[in-house]
Amino acid sequence: MKDTIKRWLEDGIVDLFLGYKMVMGHPLPHCFVKEKIEEVDELIVGIARYSLEKIATHITALKPDIKIGMLARDCNQRALSVLYIWNQLNPEQVRTANVNCCPSNLKEHGDCSYLEPETLGIFKQQVGVNNTHHPQDLEGYDQPERLSRWMYEFQKCIKCYGCRNICPVCFCQECSLEHPELIESGALPPEVPIFHLVRAVHMAGRCIDCGLCEDACPVDIPLRLLYSKVNEIVVNLFDYETGSSADQSPFSMLGDKVTLEPKPLQINPAETANPSIALQEKN
Amino acid sequence: MDCKFMPSICSYCGTGCGVLFEVIDGKIVNTLPMKTHPVNEGKLCIKGWNLHEHVNSYLRLKQPLIKAFGRFIKVDWDEAIQLAADRFREIVETYGPDAIGILVSAKITNEENYLAQKFARAVIGTNNVDHCARL
Repeated sequence: MKDTIKRWLEDGIVDLFLGYKMVMGHPLPHCFVKEKIEEVDELIVGIARYSLEKIATHITALKPDIKIGMLARDCNQRALSVLYIWNQLNPEQVRTANVNCCPSNLKEHGDCSYLEPETLGIFKQQVGVNNTHHPQDLEGYDQPERLSRWMYEFQKCIKCYGCRNICPVCFCQECSLEHPELIESGALPPEVPIFHLVRAVHMAGRCIDCGLCEDACPVDIPLRLLYSKVNEIVVNLFDYETGSSADQSPFSMLGDKVTLEPKPLQINPAETANPSIALQEKN
Repeated sequence: MDCKFMPSICSYCGTGCGVLFEVIDGKIVNTLPMKTHPVNEGKLCIKGWNLHEHVNSYLRLKQPLIKAFGRFIKVDWDEAIQLAADRFREIVETYGPDAIGILVSAKITNEENYLAQKFARAVIGTNNVDHCARL
């Protein structure tokens, strides 16, 4: 792989390559360039995972024509495809060197920082939500209990905005979470659950299940679980797999035309009247 | 295009979280938590996340100001330190060394804290030394 990357840099296929390098004992992101091509020998994949694609968007914001190469795990790939869809990066300017991936719903084990299941404290077990659960595991609790468990998690929030700041697909110039008329400013904990639910709603059709938000959360709120529930709804409703579908997301910016049709409603055959058909007949 | 990643320590409090600055063309554009740092393990508080903003803030003081004739005037460091030294000497001579107290901070290093208490005791001659973390 190092030879390929050297060749990319030498031939000018990419102007810079984002990878990792050991610096003072820490695997840190590093920007490899043609002028210091010998550094490519020190390229590592590294257990630590940074959002290289977000760094790429910062670079292209300043130099729109630059060609960027980067190491990409599966989560980086999904994030890139979302960023292409939302016109934050141009696929023709990005080239990826693919590497092994981390655990997710698709893969049980990988080799990066996220997140072998941690042992769960007794208190959190009793009143909170297990970060390693899947949305369907929570259906076991009845509704009031589920609410109280989520509220326990949300009220721990210290409003660091880390989940938003680290998120590879959060790129809005103005964020609803900072809007004083939507979210009261200066209060801790923030308005729960609305603070987290606003972010969850905005993650619909955007979240690529990378888990960086949960990784960055100082109080271990199971954000990945929350957003995977939201995306489950998107799949059921619009048949849209965030990160792997190449279409525009069903949720577009205000004023943009929605491009995806909702999936036909699954109506119980026992119910004779299909509301959508009934509506058409009426018209 | 010059793009660097500089590891550093958050300067806001005494915890010492590891941060990583994204430096593009000599300007810090973003702050990230250092994932492998033993202190913060990839997490930061809101102040740490916004370190680059106070570095780049246009409100930031980049040189000392002396208040004269009711307004602040920009001066160089030598002049500012000389003025502070003269006024300290004046206070010590008029009211005695215990009229001065020194407050140090968790945001500076142990060595600087040591120097500050040494300055208070050996140069000014007072035991009035305290620390912002002693709440």
